[in-house]
Amino acid sequence: MIFIHLLTIQGGAIKRASLEVLARGRALADALNNNGQEVELHTVVCSPEVADWDEAKWAAELGAYGVDRVWSATDESFKEHNNQALLAAVQTAHAQATDQAAKPSLVAMASTEGVKDILGALSARLGASVVADVSEFGVVAEGDGLHLTAIRPVMASKAQTQVQTTAKHVMVSVRSGSYGILEEARGQEGGTPNHEPIKIELIKIEQGDSKLQTQIREIITAAADIIDLNEAETIVAAGRGVKDETAKALIAELAQCLNAGIGASRALTEAGIYDPSVQIGQTGKVVAPQLYIAVGISGAIQHVAGITNTKVIVAVNKDADAPIFEVANYGIVGDLYEVLPAFIAEIKRLKG
Amino acid sequence: MVPDVSAPMQIKNGELIMDADRAVLNAYDASGVEEALVLKEADGGAVIVVSVGPAKAAETLRKALAMGADSAVHITTEGVEGAGEFDSDSYAKILAAYYGEQEYDTLFFGKQSQDTDAGLTGSMVAELLGIPYVSNAVGITREADGRFLVKRQGDSGQEIVDAGTGCLITCSNDMNEPRIPKLKGIMASKKKPLEVLTLSDLGVNAADVQPKTQITAYVEIPARQAGQKFSEGAAEDAGRVAELLEQNDLLS
Ligand SMILES: Cc1cc2nc3c(=O)[nH]c(=O)nc-3n(C[C@H](O)[C@H](O)[C@H](O)COP(=O)(O)OP(=O)(O)OC[C@H]3O[C@@H](n4cnc5c(N)ncnc54)[C@H](O)[C@@H]3O)c2cc1C
Repeated sequence: MIFIHLLTIQGGAIKRASLEVLARGRALADALNNNGQEVELHTVVCSPEVADWDEAKWAAELGAYGVDRVWSATDESFKEHNNQALLAAVQTAHAQATDQAAKPSLVAMASTEGVKDILGALSARLGASVVADVSEFGVVAEGDGLHLTAIRPVMASKAQTQVQTTAKHVMVSVRSGSYGILEEARGQEGGTPNHEPIKIELIKIEQGDSKLQTQIREIITAAADIIDLNEAETIVAAGRGVKDETAKALIAELAQCLNAGIGASRALTEAGIYDPSVQIGQTGKVVAPQLYIAVGISGAIQHVAGITNTKVIVAVNKDADAPIFEVANYGIVGDLYEVLPAFIAEIKRLKG
Repeated sequence: MVPDVSAPMQIKNGELIMDADRAVLNAYDASGVEEALVLKEADGGAVIVVSVGPAKAAETLRKALAMGADSAVHITTEGVEGAGEFDSDSYAKILAAYYGEQEYDTLFFGKQSQDTDAGLTGSMVAELLGIPYVSNAVGITREADGRFLVKRQGDSGQEIVDAGTGCLITCSNDMNEPRIPKLKGIMASKKKPLEVLTLSDLGVNAADVQPKTQITAYVEIPARQAGQKFSEGAAEDAGRVAELLEQNDLLS
């Protein structure tokens, strides 16, 4: 059977969330291989510019993660997110990797906005079972086939379901922070010792039906230096309690001294006070940092749905009964205008 | 149609039990209805709302009619074998069978449902129909020639996408504030046409839309414990928590 991992590269570097899925894929493949199955781990790399394409670089980076084979789709259309180009690339790689769908497969990817955009269409195209946005997944070999077992939060993260698939081809997207990355693979060149040299194959994507194409006219990006919330170890999040420039400045200062990303509740992204791309929660992003500091956020279920995998939650809220305190490891009942300056000063002192 | 996720619920023997068996209009779908109504007010046309589900799905269609939609289609799954276990793939196939025979300028879907958050059905339907799609829309404008310009929230920012016409758009609730039906709208909705279709009306066999995923159990989410709460005054509390973070190696 074939495990296929999708990697899209826009800014040059591989996203941590993608490496987490890759590490999980390798671990599952190893376990099955040790049980007498024959599992290969493939990665489909979708990247723009040919100049970016450097076989040695991908062989080293992905080889260190135990990838057996890379299908490289290099195309101008990957400069920006393009759902039809991505669908075509995965479809082409999938057909070749699985001998025209003869071998059963698992396609796994990080649950980014780009992946959310294509997951349903891709599963329909491949006739696959699909499970979106899981927090855990495993594979059970059965006969010549495989079943995916997964856990995914539902009901605004008030419950979770155990899910199982039935089709020969299976797709899964995985929440960031669900798995660790292979720390030992970092910085190591040329693959893990007991791994065959990685095979790299170029694929040409058939652009397919042009009437399905949509065209990006413009991208409105937030400031380039903001920290990606899916990668951040620490996040400082602002809610409706953050009313004015003074409070915003306090949030910025706290974030800066913790090297943290800044997130916001829907109350503030809706009001245009923070950029919509930093909304955290059911509609916004699901994050899993080590430390999440919620300032002036009440803790509505739709907000909390985005932070349940956080290690430590700190809440600052002047309402002692705010629901956020029910999920916070450390709660400070107080006015943010008084608490934050003291908090910042203390953190600075402790960090020396 | 979704269960009310704010309502109390429990898990017993792997099953989810809702205290109230209430169905509400999915918030993301409501944004789709709102956007369609805004476009209709600007350019004319008709807004038709469609739902696949058991008998109680009709209630949520009435709500959309009360918001201002012109007519509704309820594709009923009442009594259909296995309908309780249908997944996104099942619904997408049913909807594609329906829309395949219809004419439309654009199809609006919610970007996900409030209960499962799966977010799959929209792009599945587009793929099955062979039409272009844009997901996670936070704004829509229409060009003079009828093309839809969709603003979507992507990974790297907001993308302005030219989706042409005859496309499918999945809507975020960040797109608009759905109107609350007024009494007049509610009264009028009772007289608006609501057509009920069965799967066989669409030429769909239940056997062809059986799910490809199964929920084997509902399980409790590992509960976060409420931790320590401090309220001794700003300076003291902030100092205590900063220290605790330092001890836990969290002040990187
Ligand atoms: C389908 C759906 C999806 C949603 N998705 C999301 C989502 O992705 N993300 C999200 O955040 N929300 C989401 N929401 C909205 C969510 O339900 C809440 O409305 C929202 O999270 C409230 O934001 P808030 O906590 O900032 O504001 P409020 O609920 O208004 O809370 C403000 C808090 O600030 C405190 N406060 C005020 N002043 C101060 C002060 N000076 N010092 C300290 N504390 C102070 C108050 O005590 C209060 O607790 C969604 C809702 C729906 C229906």
